[in-house]
Amino acid sequence: MSAVPHDVAHGHDHHDDHHHGPTGLMRWITATNHKDIGTMYLIFSFIMFLSGGVMALTLRAELFQPGLQVVQPEFFNQLTTMHGLVMVFGAIMPAFVGFANWMLPLMVGAPDMAFARMNNWSFWLLPPAAILLIGSFFVPGGATAAGWTLYAPLSVQMGMGMDMAIFAIHIMGASSIMGAINIVVTILNMRAPGMTLMKMPLFCWTWLITAYLLIAVMPVLAGAVTMVLTDRHFGTTFFNAAGGGDPVLYQHVFWFFGHPEVYIMILPAFGIVSQIIPTFARKPLFGYASMVYATASIAILSFVVWAHHMFTTGMPAKTQIFFMYATMLIAVPTGVKVFNWIATMWRGSMTFETPMLFSVGFIFVFTLGGFTGLMLSIAPVDIQYQDTYFVVAHFHYVLVAGSLFALFAGTYYWLPKWTGYMYDEKLGKRHFWLSMIFFNVTFFPMHFLGLAGMQRRVPDYNPMFADFNELATVGAFGFGLTQLLFAYVIIKCIRGGEKATAQVWEGAEGLEWTVPSPAPHHTFEVPPVFEAKGHHH
Amino acid sequence: MMTNKQRNGFIATVLAVLWSFAGIRKGRDYQLDAEQLNPKHVIIAGIIGGILFVFTILAVVNIVVSQ
Amino acid sequence: MLVRLAIAAVGMFGFGFALVPFYEKICEVTGLRNLLVSNASDNAENTQVDTTRNIVVEMDANTHSLAWRFKPLQSNVTVHPGQLVRVDYEIENTLDRAVTGQAIPSYGPKVAERHFRKLECFCFTQQTLGPKEKRIMPVVFVIDGTAPVDMNEITLSYTFFEVAGKG
Repeated sequence: MSAVPHDVAHGHDHHDDHHHGPTGLMRWITATNHKDIGTMYLIFSFIMFLSGGVMALTLRAELFQPGLQVVQPEFFNQLTTMHGLVMVFGAIMPAFVGFANWMLPLMVGAPDMAFARMNNWSFWLLPPAAILLIGSFFVPGGATAAGWTLYAPLSVQMGMGMDMAIFAIHIMGASSIMGAINIVVTILNMRAPGMTLMKMPLFCWTWLITAYLLIAVMPVLAGAVTMVLTDRHFGTTFFNAAGGGDPVLYQHVFWFFGHPEVYIMILPAFGIVSQIIPTFARKPLFGYASMVYATASIAILSFVVWAHHMFTTGMPAKTQIFFMYATMLIAVPTGVKVFNWIATMWRGSMTFETPMLFSVGFIFVFTLGGFTGLMLSIAPVDIQYQDTYFVVAHFHYVLVAGSLFALFAGTYYWLPKWTGYMYDEKLGKRHFWLSMIFFNVTFFPMHFLGLAGMQRRVPDYNPMFADFNELATVGAFGFGLTQLLFAYVIIKCIRGGEKATAQVWEGAEGLEWTVPSPAPHHTFEVPPVFEAKGHHH
Repeated sequence: MMTNKQRNGFIATVLAVLWSFAGIRKGRDYQLDAEQLNPKHVIIAGIIGGILFVFTILAVVNIVVSQ
Repeated sequence: MLVRLAIAAVGMFGFGFALVPFYEKICEVTGLRNLLVSNASDNAENTQVDTTRNIVVEMDANTHSLAWRFKPLQSNVTVHPGQLVRVDYEIENTLDRAVTGQAIPSYGPKVAERHFRKLECFCFTQQTLGPKEKRIMPVVFVIDGTAPVDMNEITLSYTFFEVAGKG
């Protein structure tokens, strides 16, 4: 395909230095270059981020005032569901895979990802899945409205929009698994001489562990939705009590996937932040070993806490207490990470360029989200908070302020390496401050709404909640418009600007900063020799 | 270095796993771990550690509930 | 390594399905969700049944100028107050056309009506029987515990009337 015949004949380990693939659109369709694919992943996820954002703004517009003004309840339910699915599977996850594609080979000194064509395939599975998912709005009955968790028995009853969502999840799951396999093999087999595992940048470590999590749990999700599918069409009764099944079983299977999934979406964010903070504090990362160990233990523990999402399903007290304790204990390694970041900044000579602003903002808001998570882990309290806006506030603090802010930080950090130009620092900072302020205006009031008893996923509400909802809607539109500024900064940076040096940032260390900016199409065709410095003192 | 190399492999593996659950490890000890331990042993120890962790919490829960 | 990781992924897909019997086994062992095994002591017992008393209910069935065969499947039943009882009646339309009828109950002694609580009865609605159609129809009732202690026998009588003007 993209390879010239000569290349095919000699297999893939024989790379041509000046290989010219197809140009124009075909360059992208047949892309096997990790940088091209990484770029496509990032553009794809940004488009999905905007479409998920439009859904969120429609929801917020409806919730601006009590009563029904903008959309009908059925459509509202479809929007809440699709907002969740699109953001989780379309925006956050592919964005991190995009970062992995772009940066992992550069960081470990590999010429490309291990399986370049599988890489192409795992990207190009995504657009059809996205079309299937978003296209389900237009079929009879509309999109699935069972909530992003697709709980049975509701998911067993919906129209064909549900089937389309199931197939979209199958395809995206297959894409994630292939991406994860590629990442594991790249990291384990293609490191430059001298780069032992424990000298790898932390981003590689977090992605290695995330990739293992993906391989372990994405198939379980695929299994869960397959069971829903066969319940819907082939007469099985996995989740139908009338046929001997159990709807609660779906929740167990789903959250067996769902809780590790939470860490799949946050561990790479930890990795990005762990790259950025040492750069701008001009100090090596404090407790590199602790960070690796903490990441590994979070990954293992994430498999034994899933039922804390199900405290209200009538579990016996013993089970509830077990999951409550296990969940609280998982906060320990996460806390270790936060302490390590703070210790890295301690007495460092810090500067606050946009990536650093987003990283410090990440630590601040993510920790708030972590604390509300601890509150929710207390089983008797959770019974009160379950399915209220307190939960909505909690997971947006960890997903938007956590994963998304880390993605912004990473974008600004590596953008000069990708484009060869410095972005507009003034606009970048403005993007940070606007995002930070509007994010909190949107989601902080939701804590109070939830504590006062406002349920999530309901289009109408008691007029006593009106003030905070107005505030949240104003914040949400501010946050949404701010992201157009982000798009402008990126486009401006691609178009040109101040030339970036290879090093880009004064304190940056690692192999990716040894190649020129912009990174040439082919890098490290001859493996670099990695000399460890920095990490350990 | 030689004295460190004489660390008992089994105890070293278990220690590394136990520290990992707290998420804390001294940089020097980590270097030694990385040099001396067999990754397969660490993974097996990690899984056993995870199972033990579950049973420990279960035991604690039983004590708490029995009162 | 590609193959091994792919096998791991396929294995985990299978594991997702393995969770189903695993879940059922755990529920069974821990006794969390015994749908299939009924445990008598766990079931709520009906404390309303007064087993010290027996009441004989005689069933009587008549038709009034209606060519239907109408009879109870058993002529009498002995019940305890508070006990849920079901009795069945057989109705047959002997005509070649559809006929609609309405059953009207009466009780002897008359006072029994107050203590005779029907949960289900063919007399609640009009019944339409097709040509030569034959049906078994139930009455589900409870005699409540407030029935006078000297009430040992109740006659439950139904009379079917044709509802004119209906097919």
